[in-house]
Amino acid sequence: MSETPKIFTLKQVLSSIRKTIEQRYTSTYWVKAEMHKLNLSKKGHCYPELLEKQDGRIVAEIRAMIWQTNFDRINKRFIQTVKEPLKDDMMLLLLVKITYSETFGLTLNILDIDPNYSLGELQKERQESLKRLQKEGLINRNQQLDFPVLPKRIAVISAESSKGLSDFMQVIENNDWGYRFFSMIFPAQLQGDNAANSISEQLKRIKKVQNHFDLVVIVRGGGGEVGLSCYNNFELCKNIASFPLPILTGIGHSTNLTVAEMVAFRNAITPTELGDFLIQAFHNFAVPVKDAVKRLKISASSIVSEEKLLLNNASKLFKNVAKQMLSMNKQLVRSHGKELENNFKFALLNHKMLIRKSEQNVYRNAKFLVANQQNELLKLQELLPASSKAQFLLENNKLDQLSQSIRLMDPINVLNRGFSITTINGKTIGEKNKVKKGDVIQTKTATFSVESEVVNTKKS
Amino acid sequence: MSKEIKYTEAFDELQQIVVDIEDGEITVDELSIKVKRASELIKVCKQKLTATEEDVNQILKELEE
Repeated sequence: MSETPKIFTLKQVLSSIRKTIEQRYTSTYWVKAEMHKLNLSKKGHCYPELLEKQDGRIVAEIRAMIWQTNFDRINKRFIQTVKEPLKDDMMLLLLVKITYSETFGLTLNILDIDPNYSLGELQKERQESLKRLQKEGLINRNQQLDFPVLPKRIAVISAESSKGLSDFMQVIENNDWGYRFFSMIFPAQLQGDNAANSISEQLKRIKKVQNHFDLVVIVRGGGGEVGLSCYNNFELCKNIASFPLPILTGIGHSTNLTVAEMVAFRNAITPTELGDFLIQAFHNFAVPVKDAVKRLKISASSIVSEEKLLLNNASKLFKNVAKQMLSMNKQLVRSHGKELENNFKFALLNHKMLIRKSEQNVYRNAKFLVANQQNELLKLQELLPASSKAQFLLENNKLDQLSQSIRLMDPINVLNRGFSITTINGKTIGEKNKVKKGDVIQTKTATFSVESEVVNTKKS
Repeated sequence: MSKEIKYTEAFDELQQIVVDIEDGEITVDELSIKVKRASELIKVCKQKLTATEEDVNQILKELEE
């Protein structure tokens, strides 16, 4: 028969474990671990789960706890240094005591958390984000966009209750120059764990309606300086850097510049300053316009007055020249007129004289001519009787001689001298007018006419 | 975006007219036309500063699409 085994109570065993652990782990230890869940209870105690991962796989896991008194102290100091509250999924350097309780089991009692380690971790994340953005060529992407000439349509990412939002709206809506902006609020969480996602989500929405906007502003303020590490979040910074519209930030804090602010088109320290910047952009547009009005007035009126002056001078000159020309021509006309009158008078006189002379000449010549003719006539008259008488005698003689000859030629004279004329049928006898035997011929003498019959013909 | 271009163009054209007039590039004949055009542009520019044409409801509608 075997010996009856020794039986322990559960408490005996667990007490033994506790004693062993207490003896073995007498001091406290600094442990590096990821706090998966903070598990803050209503009483203010925390029961965080601690993990260690290797290549994304959990290789160690344990429950831990922070007493409320410790937690208040730790958290306060942590926020002061890190500007972030203790939260889930943080790598922490923890001062722990290993405890074992019969009722609660093995627990790491967290006595302290080193905030500087966490700060370093956050800065590491920030550096990491910057490096990746640089590597992907995104770091200046948003800054390389053209800033709108007039940034008047603004997509505002903010929280409706944010003091920063009201500061910003106050500046742009109540400006003294009557500039009008169009703004639309895209509400988002601006700090804490969900901020990065929430802002990225709104950027996605704005992208959908980007044609309605000239730029995006992210304004925050009055929410304390805690929980801003989201602005180092790589995904958010990437979304900002690669956004198609300029993104301006006015997150309002005094800590180191976050990556989001570095990659934004422009960062203003406060929302108010951001508003002032936009007003200034309006001035940059409005002042040259106003200036243009002034310059236009001056230069246009100077052109007009210059031309007026030229015209005035020209018309004055014209008037003078015209006057001069007119008086010169008047004088010319007058002198020509006088000359003409003189010439005319002279010519008239000349002609009068000529006429008179001609008159005298005519008279004189006529008289002379008449006298001449009279003389001639007289001469002729004198000559006429003598010459005509002689002529008459001469002609008379001629006539006498002629009548003598004519008388001598008269056949009667021949007949008187004993000759006769024989004819047949009234014509003398000849070769052409022959007579034959039996013809009756007439013979005329000075005193008788005899008719005889031809007895014989013989050529004589 | 088209509106953006519109007032940028208005602004640039205005500047050009002013420079042209100042440089004496414009004759008296053109002057009144140019001045008239410039005052139109000034009106456009001033309007851009003090008016807004965006319709919130339209944007909301597009966001829901």
